[in-house]
Amino acid sequence: MILRTHLLDNALIADIQLKEANLSNADQFKAELHSLINSGNKYVIVNFEQVIYVDSSFLGALVSALKLAMNNGGDIAVVGLNSDIRSLFQLVRLDKVFKIYTNTQEALTGA
Amino acid sequence: MPKQSQILLVDDSPLVLKVIGRALEKEGFICHKANNAEEAFALLKNDIPDLILSDYQMPGVNGFEFRQSLMAVPEFKNIPFMFLTSVTDHDHMIAGMSLDVIDYIDKDTPIAFVISKINNFLNSIRERHEHTIRELSSAAMALNLYSVPKETPRINGFEIDFWHKSFENYPGGDFIDVISINNRYTFIILGDVMGKKWGAWFFSFGYLSYIRAAVRLCVSEGDVSTRSIMQKINSVIYHDPVVSEVLSTLSLIMIDAESEELSYTGAGDLPLLYFCKAKNRLDRISSAGLLLGVSKQGGFDEHLFTMRPGDQLMMITDGLIDKETPAGKKTDLNSFTSEIERYLGKSDSFMTLKNDGFLNEKANEQIDDCSLIFIQKNS
Repeated sequence: MILRTHLLDNALIADIQLKEANLSNADQFKAELHSLINSGNKYVIVNFEQVIYVDSSFLGALVSALKLAMNNGGDIAVVGLNSDIRSLFQLVRLDKVFKIYTNTQEALTGA
Repeated sequence: MPKQSQILLVDDSPLVLKVIGRALEKEGFICHKANNAEEAFALLKNDIPDLILSDYQMPGVNGFEFRQSLMAVPEFKNIPFMFLTSVTDHDHMIAGMSLDVIDYIDKDTPIAFVISKINNFLNSIRERHEHTIRELSSAAMALNLYSVPKETPRINGFEIDFWHKSFENYPGGDFIDVISINNRYTFIILGDVMGKKWGAWFFSFGYLSYIRAAVRLCVSEGDVSTRSIMQKINSVIYHDPVVSEVLSTLSLIMIDAESEELSYTGAGDLPLLYFCKAKNRLDRISSAGLLLGVSKQGGFDEHLFTMRPGDQLMMITDGLIDKETPAGKKTDLNSFTSEIERYLGKSDSFMTLKNDGFLNEKANEQIDDCSLIFIQKNS
Protein backbone atom coordinates (compact mmCIF):
# COMPACT_ATOMS: atom_id res chain seq x y z
CA MET A 1 0.00 0.00 0.00
CA ILE A 2 1.32 3.41 -0.94
CA LEU A 3 -1.28 5.34 1.02
CA ARG A 4 -1.85 5.10 4.76
CA THR A 5 -5.18 6.67 5.60
CA HIS A 6 -7.16 7.90 8.55
CA LEU A 7 -10.25 10.01 8.99
CA LEU A 8 -10.03 13.42 10.63
CA ASP A 9 -13.09 15.63 10.95
CA ASN A 10 -14.82 15.44 7.58
CA ALA A 11 -11.69 14.63 5.55
CA LEU A 12 -9.66 11.56 4.76
CA ILE A 13 -5.93 12.05 5.30
CA ALA A 14 -3.84 9.97 2.89
CA ASP A 15 -0.12 9.82 3.72
CA ILE A 16 2.11 8.89 0.78
CA GLN A 17 4.60 6.36 2.13
CA LEU A 18 7.25 6.87 -0.51
CA LYS A 19 10.49 8.81 -0.81
CA GLU A 20 10.54 8.82 -4.62
CA ALA A 21 7.11 9.14 -6.18
CA ASN A 22 7.61 8.19 -9.82
CA LEU A 23 6.43 6.13 -12.77
CA SER A 24 7.09 2.84 -11.00
CA ASN A 25 4.48 3.60 -8.34
CA ALA A 26 2.20 6.09 -10.15
CA ASP A 27 -0.32 3.49 -11.37
CA GLN A 28 -0.70 1.93 -7.94
CA PHE A 29 -1.04 5.36 -6.33
CA LYS A 30 -3.73 6.29 -8.85
CA ALA A 31 -5.61 3.03 -8.26
CA GLU A 32 -5.51 3.47 -4.47
CA LEU A 33 -6.62 7.10 -4.62
CA HIS A 34 -9.40 6.37 -7.12
CA SER A 35 -10.61 3.55 -4.92
CA LEU A 36 -10.72 5.85 -1.85
CA ILE A 37 -12.73 8.43 -3.80
CA ASN A 38 -15.06 5.84 -5.31
CA SER A 39 -15.77 4.43 -1.88
CA GLY A 40 -17.36 7.74 -0.90
CA ASN A 41 -14.54 9.90 0.50
CA LYS A 42 -15.38 13.40 -0.74
CA TYR A 43 -12.52 15.42 0.77
CA VAL A 44 -9.09 13.86 0.61
CA ILE A 45 -5.93 15.49 1.94
CA VAL A 46 -2.88 13.97 0.30
CA ASN A 47 0.16 14.28 2.53
CA PHE A 48 3.56 14.48 0.80
CA GLU A 49 5.61 14.84 4.01
CA GLN A 50 7.70 11.70 3.36
CA VAL A 51 8.21 12.41 -0.34
CA ILE A 52 11.45 14.00 -1.51
CA TYR A 53 10.96 13.70 -5.29
CA VAL A 54 7.94 13.56 -7.60
CA ASP A 55 7.99 12.96 -11.35
CA SER A 56 5.43 13.99 -13.95
CA SER A 57 3.83 10.53 -14.19
CA PHE A 58 3.01 10.65 -10.49
CA LEU A 59 1.65 14.20 -10.79
CA GLY A 60 -0.49 12.99 -13.70
CA ALA A 61 -1.97 10.32 -11.42
CA LEU A 62 -2.72 12.95 -8.76
CA VAL A 63 -4.47 15.24 -11.26
CA SER A 64 -6.49 12.33 -12.62
CA ALA A 65 -7.71 11.61 -9.07
CA LEU A 66 -8.61 15.28 -8.61
CA LYS A 67 -10.76 15.18 -11.74
CA LEU A 68 -12.55 12.11 -10.39
CA ALA A 69 -13.04 13.75 -6.98
CA MET A 70 -14.44 16.92 -8.56
CA ASN A 71 -16.81 14.90 -10.76
CA ASN A 72 -18.10 13.31 -7.54
CA GLY A 73 -18.59 16.73 -5.98
CA GLY A 74 -15.48 16.44 -3.80
CA ASP A 75 -11.96 17.86 -3.73
CA ILE A 76 -8.32 16.96 -3.05
CA ALA A 77 -5.97 19.18 -1.07
CA VAL A 78 -2.22 18.71 -0.96
CA VAL A 79 -0.04 19.18 2.13
CA GLY A 80 3.55 18.64 3.29
CA LEU A 81 5.33 19.64 0.06
CA ASN A 82 9.05 20.22 0.41
CA SER A 83 10.41 23.36 -1.24
CA ASP A 84 11.54 21.56 -4.43
CA ILE A 85 8.18 19.87 -4.93
CA ARG A 86 6.35 23.11 -4.16
CA SER A 87 8.46 24.85 -6.84
CA LEU A 88 7.60 22.07 -9.29
CA PHE A 89 3.87 22.55 -8.58
CA GLN A 90 4.31 26.27 -9.30
CA LEU A 91 6.44 25.66 -12.38
CA VAL A 92 3.73 23.57 -14.07
CA ARG A 93 0.87 25.64 -12.57
CA LEU A 94 -0.50 22.80 -10.45
CA ASP A 95 -0.65 25.36 -7.62
CA LYS A 96 -3.63 26.77 -9.52
CA VAL A 97 -5.27 23.35 -9.75
CA PHE A 98 -4.81 22.07 -6.19
CA LYS A 99 -5.41 23.73 -2.86
CA ILE A 100 -1.99 23.58 -1.24
CA TYR A 101 -1.50 23.87 2.52
CA THR A 102 1.52 23.60 4.78
CA ASN A 103 0.07 20.83 6.93
CA THR A 104 -3.03 18.78 7.61
CA GLN A 105 -4.32 21.09 10.34
CA GLU A 106 -4.15 24.10 8.04
CA ALA A 107 -5.92 22.14 5.31
CA LEU A 108 -8.74 21.20 7.68
CA THR A 109 -9.22 24.82 8.67
CA GLY A 110 -9.02 26.05 5.09
CA ALA A 111 -11.24 23.33 3.63
CA MET B 1 26.25 -3.14 -23.40
CA PRO B 2 23.11 -5.25 -22.73
CA LYS B 3 21.42 -4.70 -19.39
CA GLN B 4 22.33 -7.28 -16.73
CA SER B 5 19.40 -9.58 -15.99
CA GLN B 6 18.26 -9.80 -12.39
CA ILE B 7 17.34 -13.05 -10.70
CA LEU B 8 15.64 -13.46 -7.35
CA LEU B 9 16.81 -16.67 -5.71
CA VAL B 10 14.59 -17.98 -2.90
CA ASP B 11 15.83 -20.88 -0.76
CA ASP B 12 16.02 -21.58 2.96
CA SER B 13 19.47 -23.17 2.60
CA PRO B 14 22.27 -20.63 2.98
CA LEU B 15 24.57 -23.02 1.13
CA VAL B 16 22.28 -23.20 -1.92
CA LEU B 17 21.92 -19.42 -1.94
CA LYS B 18 25.69 -19.06 -1.81
CA VAL B 19 26.62 -21.70 -4.41
CA ILE B 20 23.90 -20.95 -6.96
CA GLY B 21 24.12 -17.23 -6.30
CA ARG B 22 27.83 -17.28 -7.02
CA ALA B 23 27.35 -19.34 -10.21
CA LEU B 24 24.69 -16.93 -11.46
CA GLU B 25 26.81 -13.89 -10.70
CA LYS B 26 29.75 -15.49 -12.51
CA GLU B 27 27.50 -15.71 -15.56
CA GLY B 28 26.79 -11.97 -15.37
CA PHE B 29 23.42 -12.03 -13.59
CA ILE B 30 22.56 -9.73 -10.71
CA CYS B 31 21.38 -12.10 -8.02
CA HIS B 32 19.11 -11.11 -5.12
CA LYS B 33 18.80 -13.70 -2.36
CA ALA B 34 15.92 -14.42 0.02
CA ASN B 35 15.71 -17.08 2.74
CA ASN B 36 11.94 -17.33 2.55
CA ALA B 37 8.80 -15.95 0.91
CA GLU B 38 8.55 -13.04 3.32
CA GLU B 39 12.08 -11.84 2.51
CA ALA B 40 11.35 -12.31 -1.18
CA PHE B 41 8.28 -10.05 -0.98
CA ALA B 42 10.35 -7.41 0.81
CA LEU B 43 12.93 -7.49 -2.02
CA LEU B 44 10.20 -7.34 -4.68
CA LYS B 45 9.05 -4.02 -3.25
CA ASN B 46 12.33 -2.48 -4.40
CA ASP B 47 13.07 -4.30 -7.63
CA ILE B 48 11.22 -6.44 -10.12
CA PRO B 49 13.61 -9.18 -11.28
CA ASP B 50 13.64 -10.78 -14.72
CA LEU B 51 13.13 -14.22 -13.17
CA ILE B 52 12.38 -15.84 -9.80
CA LEU B 53 14.09 -19.14 -9.02
CA SER B 54 12.53 -20.70 -5.94
CA ASP B 55 12.81 -23.79 -3.80
CA TYR B 56 9.65 -25.76 -2.92
CA GLN B 57 10.37 -27.08 0.56
CA MET B 58 10.84 -24.14 2.91
CA PRO B 59 9.74 -23.67 6.53
CA GLY B 60 6.53 -21.66 6.89
CA VAL B 61 5.34 -20.70 3.42
CA ASN B 62 6.34 -23.37 0.90
CA GLY B 63 7.25 -22.70 -2.76
CA PHE B 64 3.76 -23.47 -4.08
CA GLU B 65 2.13 -21.11 -1.56
CA PHE B 66 4.74 -18.47 -2.38
CA ARG B 67 3.93 -18.83 -6.10
CA GLN B 68 0.20 -18.57 -5.39
CA SER B 69 0.70 -15.40 -3.33
CA LEU B 70 2.71 -13.87 -6.19
CA MET B 71 -0.05 -14.74 -8.65
CA ALA B 72 -2.51 -12.77 -6.54
CA VAL B 73 -0.52 -9.53 -6.89
CA PRO B 74 -0.97 -7.87 -10.31
CA GLU B 75 2.55 -6.39 -10.48
CA PHE B 76 4.21 -9.70 -9.48
CA LYS B 77 2.09 -12.32 -11.23
CA ASN B 78 3.84 -11.96 -14.59
CA ILE B 79 7.39 -12.28 -13.31
CA PRO B 80 8.72 -15.50 -14.89
CA PHE B 81 9.01 -18.18 -12.22
CA MET B 82 10.98 -21.45 -12.02
CA PHE B 83 11.10 -24.06 -9.28
CA LEU B 84 14.49 -25.48 -8.32
CA THR B 85 13.83 -28.23 -5.80
CA SER B 86 14.74 -31.73 -4.68
CA VAL B 87 11.07 -32.66 -4.38
CA THR B 88 10.70 -34.23 -7.80
CA ASP B 89 7.95 -36.84 -7.52
CA HIS B 90 5.47 -36.89 -10.34
CA ASP B 91 2.57 -35.38 -8.36
CA HIS B 92 4.59 -32.43 -7.08
CA MET B 93 6.03 -31.70 -10.51
CA ILE B 94 2.56 -31.64 -12.07
CA ALA B 95 1.18 -29.50 -9.24
CA GLY B 96 4.12 -27.09 -9.59
CA MET B 97 3.88 -26.79 -13.37
CA SER B 98 0.14 -26.09 -13.09
CA LEU B 99 1.03 -22.84 -11.27
CA ASP B 100 1.88 -21.14 -14.55
CA VAL B 101 5.62 -21.51 -14.11
CA ILE B 102 8.35 -21.66 -16.75
CA ASP B 103 10.05 -24.79 -15.47
CA TYR B 104 10.33 -27.25 -12.60
CA ILE B 105 13.99 -28.22 -12.21
CA ASP B 106 15.51 -30.95 -10.10
CA LYS B 107 18.14 -29.59 -7.69
CA ASP B 108 20.44 -32.42 -8.74
CA THR B 109 20.64 -30.94 -12.23
CA PRO B 110 24.19 -29.68 -12.93
CA ILE B 111 24.29 -25.93 -12.30
CA ALA B 112 25.67 -25.28 -15.82
CA PHE B 113 22.53 -26.89 -17.23
CA VAL B 114 20.27 -24.79 -14.97
CA ILE B 115 22.05 -21.65 -16.17
CA SER B 116 21.63 -22.73 -19.81
CA LYS B 117 17.91 -23.13 -19.22
CA ILE B 118 17.73 -19.63 -17.68
CA ASN B 119 19.77 -18.11 -20.51
CA ASN B 120 17.68 -19.81 -23.19
CA PHE B 121 14.49 -18.58 -21.58
CA LEU B 122 15.68 -14.99 -21.13
CA ASN B 123 17.08 -14.89 -24.68
CA SER B 124 13.78 -16.06 -26.13
CA ILE B 125 11.95 -13.36 -24.14
CA ARG B 126 14.42 -10.72 -25.35
CA GLU B 127 14.08 -11.83 -28.99
CA ARG B 128 10.28 -11.81 -28.77
CA HIS B 129 10.39 -8.35 -27.19
CA GLU B 130 12.71 -6.98 -29.89
CA HIS B 131 10.53 -8.55 -32.57
CA THR B 132 7.43 -6.85 -31.11
CA ILE B 133 9.21 -3.49 -31.01
CA ARG B 134 10.30 -3.90 -34.64
CA GLU B 135 6.74 -4.77 -35.69
CA LEU B 136 5.25 -1.83 -33.80
CA SER B 137 7.85 0.55 -35.17
CA SER B 138 7.26 -0.55 -38.75
CA ALA B 139 3.49 -0.28 -38.25
CA ALA B 140 3.99 3.24 -36.88
CA MET B 141 6.20 4.16 -39.82
CA ALA B 142 3.68 2.73 -42.29
CA LEU B 143 1.03 4.95 -40.72
CA ASN B 144 3.43 7.90 -40.86
CA LEU B 145 3.37 8.16 -37.06
CA TYR B 146 6.48 9.89 -35.82
CA SER B 147 6.68 11.59 -32.46
CA VAL B 148 9.64 13.64 -33.74
CA PRO B 149 9.81 15.08 -37.28
CA LYS B 150 12.29 13.47 -39.62
CA GLU B 151 13.56 16.78 -40.94
CA THR B 152 14.14 20.19 -39.43
CA PRO B 153 11.98 22.97 -40.91
CA ARG B 154 13.37 25.83 -42.97
CA ILE B 155 12.09 29.29 -42.16
CA ASN B 156 13.68 32.37 -43.63
CA GLY B 157 15.88 34.11 -41.08
CA PHE B 158 15.53 31.37 -38.46
CA GLU B 159 17.43 28.21 -37.71
CA ILE B 160 15.44 25.50 -35.97
CA ASP B 161 16.86 22.30 -34.54
CA PHE B 162 15.57 19.44 -32.41
CA TRP B 163 17.19 17.14 -29.98
CA HIS B 164 15.30 14.20 -28.54
CA LYS B 165 16.35 11.19 -26.54
CA SER B 166 13.85 8.56 -25.53
CA PHE B 167 14.06 6.75 -22.20
CA GLU B 168 15.95 3.45 -22.64
CA ASN B 169 15.36 3.83 -26.40
CA TYR B 170 11.63 3.17 -26.08
CA PRO B 171 9.31 5.57 -27.85
CA GLY B 172 7.83 7.67 -25.06
CA GLY B 173 5.52 10.51 -24.21
CA ASP B 174 7.47 13.48 -25.62
CA PHE B 175 6.34 14.67 -29.02
CA ILE B 176 7.63 17.33 -31.39
CA ASP B 177 5.85 18.54 -34.49
CA VAL B 178 6.15 21.33 -37.01
CA ILE B 179 3.22 22.49 -39.10
CA SER B 180 4.09 24.82 -41.96
CA ILE B 181 0.89 26.43 -43.15
CA ASN B 182 2.49 28.45 -45.96
CA ASN B 183 5.64 30.53 -46.43
CA ARG B 184 4.42 32.84 -43.69
CA TYR B 185 3.13 30.81 -40.74
CA THR B 186 4.89 27.91 -39.06
CA PHE B 187 3.74 26.26 -35.83
CA ILE B 188 6.20 24.49 -33.57
CA ILE B 189 4.87 22.04 -31.04
CA LEU B 190 6.46 20.39 -28.04
CA GLY B 191 4.40 18.17 -25.78
CA ASP B 192 4.98 15.72 -22.98
CA VAL B 193 2.37 13.09 -22.19
CA MET B 194 2.68 12.26 -18.50
CA GLY B 195 3.82 8.67 -18.51
CA LYS B 196 6.56 6.73 -20.17
CA LYS B 197 7.23 4.13 -22.81
CA TRP B 198 4.49 2.63 -24.99
CA GLY B 199 1.42 3.83 -23.11
CA ALA B 200 2.53 7.45 -23.29
CA TRP B 201 3.69 6.99 -26.88
CA PHE B 202 0.25 5.83 -28.07
CA PHE B 203 -1.43 8.73 -26.30
CA SER B 204 1.03 11.19 -27.84
CA PHE B 205 -0.52 10.38 -31.23
CA GLY B 206 -4.00 10.98 -29.87
CA TYR B 207 -2.85 14.39 -28.71
CA LEU B 208 -0.99 15.13 -31.94
CA SER B 209 -4.08 14.37 -34.02
CA TYR B 210 -6.13 16.86 -32.01
CA ILE B 211 -3.36 19.48 -32.14
CA ARG B 212 -2.88 19.18 -35.90
CA ALA B 213 -6.65 19.37 -36.45
CA ALA B 214 -7.02 22.42 -34.18
CA VAL B 215 -4.16 24.29 -35.88
CA ARG B 216 -5.58 23.64 -39.37
CA LEU B 217 -9.11 24.49 -38.26
CA CYS B 218 -8.17 27.80 -36.66
CA VAL B 219 -5.92 28.83 -39.55
CA SER B 220 -8.66 28.01 -42.07
CA GLU B 221 -10.93 30.33 -40.07
CA GLY B 222 -8.28 33.06 -40.29
CA ASP B 223 -7.33 32.79 -36.60
CA VAL B 224 -3.59 32.21 -36.09
CA SER B 225 -3.58 33.09 -32.40
CA THR B 226 -1.78 30.40 -30.39
CA ARG B 227 -4.14 31.11 -27.50
CA SER B 228 -7.24 30.40 -29.61
CA ILE B 229 -5.66 27.21 -30.94
CA MET B 230 -4.72 26.07 -27.45
CA GLN B 231 -8.26 26.72 -26.23
CA LYS B 232 -9.65 24.58 -29.05
CA ILE B 233 -7.21 21.76 -28.32
CA ASN B 234 -8.02 21.95 -24.60
CA SER B 235 -11.73 21.94 -25.22
CA VAL B 236 -11.72 18.74 -27.29
CA ILE B 237 -9.36 16.99 -24.90
CA TYR B 238 -11.42 18.06 -21.88
CA HIS B 239 -14.49 16.46 -23.42
CA ASP B 240 -12.75 13.29 -24.57
CA PRO B 241 -13.01 10.83 -21.67
CA VAL B 242 -10.24 8.59 -23.01
CA VAL B 243 -7.51 11.10 -23.88
CA SER B 244 -8.21 13.34 -20.87
CA GLU B 245 -7.42 10.41 -18.55
CA VAL B 246 -3.76 10.86 -19.47
CA LEU B 247 -2.47 14.40 -19.06
CA SER B 248 -0.12 16.29 -21.29
CA THR B 249 1.84 19.51 -21.32
CA LEU B 250 2.05 21.51 -24.51
CA SER B 251 4.18 24.42 -25.72
CA LEU B 252 2.91 26.01 -28.91
CA ILE B 253 4.89 28.62 -30.84
CA MET B 254 3.86 30.30 -34.07
CA ILE B 255 6.55 32.00 -36.17
CA ASP B 256 5.33 34.65 -38.58
CA ALA B 257 8.15 34.81 -41.14
CA GLU B 258 6.74 38.03 -42.61
CA SER B 259 6.53 40.16 -39.46
CA GLU B 260 9.27 38.08 -37.78
CA GLU B 261 7.06 37.99 -34.72
CA LEU B 262 6.60 34.91 -32.56
CA SER B 263 3.61 34.04 -30.43
CA TYR B 264 3.63 31.51 -27.65
CA THR B 265 1.04 29.78 -25.50
CA GLY B 266 1.78 27.04 -23.01
CA ALA B 267 -0.21 24.43 -21.12
CA GLY B 268 1.42 23.19 -17.90
CA ASP B 269 4.77 23.37 -19.69
CA LEU B 270 8.17 24.55 -18.53
CA PRO B 271 9.05 28.18 -19.33
CA LEU B 272 10.72 29.00 -22.63
CA LEU B 273 14.38 29.88 -22.16
CA TYR B 274 15.23 33.04 -24.10
CA PHE B 275 18.82 34.15 -24.62
CA CYS B 276 19.04 37.82 -25.55
CA LYS B 277 22.28 38.49 -27.43
CA ALA B 278 22.23 42.25 -26.78
CA LYS B 279 21.83 41.82 -23.02
CA ASN B 280 23.92 38.62 -22.97
CA ARG B 281 21.32 37.21 -20.60
CA LEU B 282 19.13 34.12 -20.33
CA ASP B 283 15.54 34.90 -19.35
CA ARG B 284 12.40 32.85 -18.97
CA ILE B 285 9.08 33.31 -20.70
CA SER B 286 6.42 31.69 -18.54
CA SER B 287 2.91 30.92 -19.68
CA ALA B 288 -0.14 30.73 -17.45
CA GLY B 289 -2.05 27.81 -18.99
CA LEU B 290 -2.91 24.64 -17.10
CA LEU B 291 -2.19 21.09 -18.28
CA LEU B 292 -4.37 20.09 -21.24
CA GLY B 293 -7.76 18.72 -20.26
CA VAL B 294 -7.54 19.64 -16.57
CA SER B 295 -10.10 22.43 -16.68
CA LYS B 296 -12.63 23.57 -19.23
CA GLN B 297 -11.12 27.05 -19.62
CA GLY B 298 -7.43 26.26 -19.15
CA GLY B 299 -6.46 29.85 -18.24
CA PHE B 300 -4.29 30.29 -21.34
CA ASP B 301 -2.42 33.48 -22.22
CA GLU B 302 -0.39 34.48 -25.26
CA HIS B 303 3.08 36.04 -25.39
CA LEU B 304 4.12 38.02 -28.45
CA PHE B 305 7.78 38.81 -29.00
CA THR B 306 10.35 39.50 -31.69
CA MET B 307 13.73 37.82 -31.81
CA ARG B 308 16.76 39.89 -32.79
CA PRO B 309 19.70 38.45 -34.77
CA GLY B 310 21.77 36.21 -32.51
CA ASP B 311 18.89 35.65 -30.04
CA GLN B 312 18.16 32.06 -29.10
CA LEU B 313 15.03 30.39 -27.79
CA MET B 314 14.70 26.95 -26.23
CA MET B 315 11.69 24.79 -25.50
CA ILE B 316 12.36 21.86 -23.14
CA THR B 317 10.56 18.99 -21.44
CA ASP B 318 10.97 18.09 -17.78
CA GLY B 319 13.15 15.04 -18.45
CA LEU B 320 16.10 17.39 -18.82
CA ILE B 321 15.87 19.19 -15.52
CA ASP B 322 15.86 16.41 -12.92
CA LYS B 323 19.04 16.18 -10.93
CA GLU B 324 20.63 13.63 -8.62
CA THR B 325 21.95 15.28 -5.42
CA PRO B 326 23.43 13.85 -2.21
CA ALA B 327 20.06 14.46 -0.54
CA GLY B 328 18.21 12.58 -3.30
CA LYS B 329 16.64 13.38 -6.61
CA LYS B 330 15.19 16.82 -7.32
CA THR B 331 13.67 18.80 -10.14
CA ASP B 332 15.88 21.81 -10.68
CA LEU B 333 15.32 24.23 -13.53
CA ASN B 334 17.69 26.78 -11.99
CA SER B 335 20.68 24.41 -12.17
CA PHE B 336 19.81 23.48 -15.73
CA THR B 337 19.62 27.09 -16.88
CA SER B 338 22.89 28.04 -15.20
CA GLU B 339 24.63 25.02 -16.74
CA ILE B 340 23.32 25.60 -20.26
CA GLU B 341 24.03 29.34 -20.23
CA ARG B 342 27.72 28.97 -21.07
CA TYR B 343 26.84 27.34 -24.41
CA LEU B 344 24.58 30.16 -25.55
CA GLY B 345 25.18 33.28 -27.60
CA LYS B 346 27.37 31.60 -30.22
CA SER B 347 26.51 30.82 -33.81
CA ASP B 348 27.15 27.11 -33.24
CA SER B 349 25.52 26.87 -29.79
CA PHE B 350 23.17 24.04 -30.72
CA MET B 351 25.83 21.92 -32.40
CA THR B 352 28.09 22.33 -29.36
CA LEU B 353 25.29 21.40 -26.96
CA LYS B 354 24.64 18.33 -29.05
CA ASN B 355 28.18 17.27 -29.85
CA ASP B 356 30.18 18.00 -26.73
CA GLY B 357 27.95 15.72 -24.71
CA PHE B 358 26.07 18.23 -22.52
CA LEU B 359 22.62 17.08 -23.63
CA ASN B 360 23.52 13.38 -23.68
CA GLU B 361 25.01 13.69 -20.22
CA LYS B 362 21.79 15.31 -18.98
CA ALA B 363 19.70 12.61 -20.63
CA ASN B 364 21.76 9.76 -19.20
CA GLU B 365 21.06 11.01 -15.67
CA GLN B 366 17.31 10.83 -16.31
CA ILE B 367 14.58 8.24 -16.19
CA ASP B 368 12.39 10.03 -18.72
CA ASP B 369 12.30 11.17 -22.32
CA CYS B 370 14.25 14.36 -22.91
CA SER B 371 13.55 16.90 -25.64
CA LEU B 372 14.82 20.30 -26.63
CA ILE B 373 13.83 22.55 -29.52
CA PHE B 374 16.37 25.23 -30.37
CA ILE B 375 15.36 28.33 -32.33
CA GLN B 376 17.92 30.88 -33.41
CA LYS B 377 17.37 34.16 -35.22
CA ASN B 378 20.01 34.59 -37.87
CA SER B 379 19.40 37.72 -39.86
